[in-house]
Amino acid sequence: MSGLGDLITGLGTLATPEMLFHAAWATLLGIVVGSLPGLTATMGVALMTTLTYSLESTTAILVLVCMYVGAIYGGSRSAILLNIPGTPASAATSLDGYPLAKAGRAGYAMGLATAGSALGTLAGVVMLVLVAPPLAEAALNFGSFEFFWLAVFGILISGQLTADTSPLKGYIAGLLGLAVAMIGSEGIHAHVRFNMGLQDLNAGIALIPAMVGAFGFAEVLTAMWNRAGELAVKKDKSDRTIPDLVDLWRYKLTIARSGLIGTLVGIIPGVGEDIGAWASYAAARKTSKEKEKFGHGSHEGLIAAETGNSAVVPGSLIPAITLAVPGSASSAVLIAALFIHGIRPGPLIMIEQPDFIGLISAMVVIATLFMAFYGLTLTKAFVQVLKVPYAYLMPVVFVLCVIGTFALSQRIFDIWIMVFFGLVGFVLRQMKYPMAPLVLGIILGDLLDKSLRRGLTLSDGELAPFFTRPVSAGFVALILLSIAMNVPVVRRLALAPVRWIGARLDA
Amino acid sequence: MTMAMADRLTAGLLFLLGLALLVGGYTMDRLEIRQIHPASIPGLVPIILGLLLALCAALLFLSSFKTDDQRRALVLADGSWARLGLTAAICTLYALGLVGWLPYFWATFVFATCFALLFSFPPAGARRAQVIAVLAALALGAGVALGSSLLFEKLFLVRLP
Repeated sequence: MSGLGDLITGLGTLATPEMLFHAAWATLLGIVVGSLPGLTATMGVALMTTLTYSLESTTAILVLVCMYVGAIYGGSRSAILLNIPGTPASAATSLDGYPLAKAGRAGYAMGLATAGSALGTLAGVVMLVLVAPPLAEAALNFGSFEFFWLAVFGILISGQLTADTSPLKGYIAGLLGLAVAMIGSEGIHAHVRFNMGLQDLNAGIALIPAMVGAFGFAEVLTAMWNRAGELAVKKDKSDRTIPDLVDLWRYKLTIARSGLIGTLVGIIPGVGEDIGAWASYAAARKTSKEKEKFGHGSHEGLIAAETGNSAVVPGSLIPAITLAVPGSASSAVLIAALFIHGIRPGPLIMIEQPDFIGLISAMVVIATLFMAFYGLTLTKAFVQVLKVPYAYLMPVVFVLCVIGTFALSQRIFDIWIMVFFGLVGFVLRQMKYPMAPLVLGIILGDLLDKSLRRGLTLSDGELAPFFTRPVSAGFVALILLSIAMNVPVVRRLALAPVRWIGARLDA
Repeated sequence: MTMAMADRLTAGLLFLLGLALLVGGYTMDRLEIRQIHPASIPGLVPIILGLLLALCAALLFLSSFKTDDQRRALVLADGSWARLGLTAAICTLYALGLVGWLPYFWATFVFATCFALLFSFPPAGARRAQVIAVLAALALGAGVALGSSLLFEKLFLVRLP
């Protein structure tokens, strides 16, 4: 139980007026960012990374975690009140939240969403403190062979699960990200690749400008492109916001299951909060005694979606901290931010900074407490925030994209990179290419490249160790299964036992 | 344009990119002079990526001939081209032109004011509404320029462009 002990120690470290002040404003800002359609959690964390780089490292990471937790929760505001999810993570929330709001129960819906989010995050935190330390210790035994397959698996599974239409587009996005990572000086011989004659590309393409472009500028373009860009304003009929404990107790199994599903989805590399919400919602609907209410204002559906998406946040931190493989797009930015602040995520974290997992878990808990406080008290204030017109909001966002990108290394070239990724990111999104595998490719490209070549050097060019070492063989099996599942016949055969068990349980 | 046609065009571009990676990786310096292990040549992963990208592009091209709703759906059809074009133009002009050419404060003031005016000014509205829109845009421009300048220059000690 040393994980829980570390969590308590972490809470003690953060219980200072200065830290609580930073947590308070960052969570509030996160909720505002998340609640505004067009601004996502990833964009908020990316922009905040540029705004906090001069802060002391613990404070900066606390601000980023609070922004992340707040933004994921904040998306539920507009999903419930306007039927426009503030972030993709809240799409499932709108299915039952908006009908409740139309029935004049917006306040209660937001109260339920708040309770669901808080409980989901706390469930994920428990998993984080319990799973992350042993996982990091297990990962200490990983060699180049295992890290190569881990990187391949991460990009593949992210491409497969985040693609809207065909997994092929997810794979292509991942390959494009890897191709971007090939630019600049490589990690073994320091040979400069594909710099196209530009000195500025010798160091490669930095992640933050690329992400601010792909998630910031591209979102500004998307928001202005959509005809629905003008916010609808619905009259708020907020009733009470504190949910009945009886209501929460009745759905205890749904909350526990959604928390578990959300955390597990978070652990899968590059698969974000939206999938966590949908998977939890689908599971709740399948097992509910009130299936017919889903989509028409079901309390259970709303709780499942919000618990699911919030549990992804701590879940995604598990691989991010222990393996340096992000569980979601937002945690990819967090990894970059950790490096900026001198913390090296990866298997060595338990040796270099053994108390860090407890500390970051404590940050999530503090963010959750502030989130719950704001969620239950500032309902009407958030309705006002949703009325800010895009004509005034988007220039502010873009200015922060530009100056934030510049501030990191004070290079005008980084602004060009940001604009390039913004324009390309917009076009790719319109053509249904997911952004998460692209980002994962940029992050994992270096690890994949170095692990493959280092592994081949260690084995003197032999491929056998890539397939015969136990963990490598496990990854290979998972990768082959993931690809084979795209073939309908294989999918039918593989899922047959699951369907059989499901049918028995229903009977 | 339908998604099928967009996929075919993208497949062509991606195939060319894959080929470029493949050729670029194959012709890359193998650092024999430094006597590195042949399995660790810098071009190895780009070669593999090039092959995979070309393969995926070919699969994308083939899959674009399937006739289903996804492929028949229109791309870049459900939004406003005027708003998109104006946004892309003014943002690119600001980021790639004004920043670094004008002092940061003035570049940001001009950008934020013009952006707000473009999308909030009511050409057919009453004179009072027009005046309010202009004043609001000017206030926004000044506020954003001053606020971001102070934040980054004084608090984060960044030498602004």
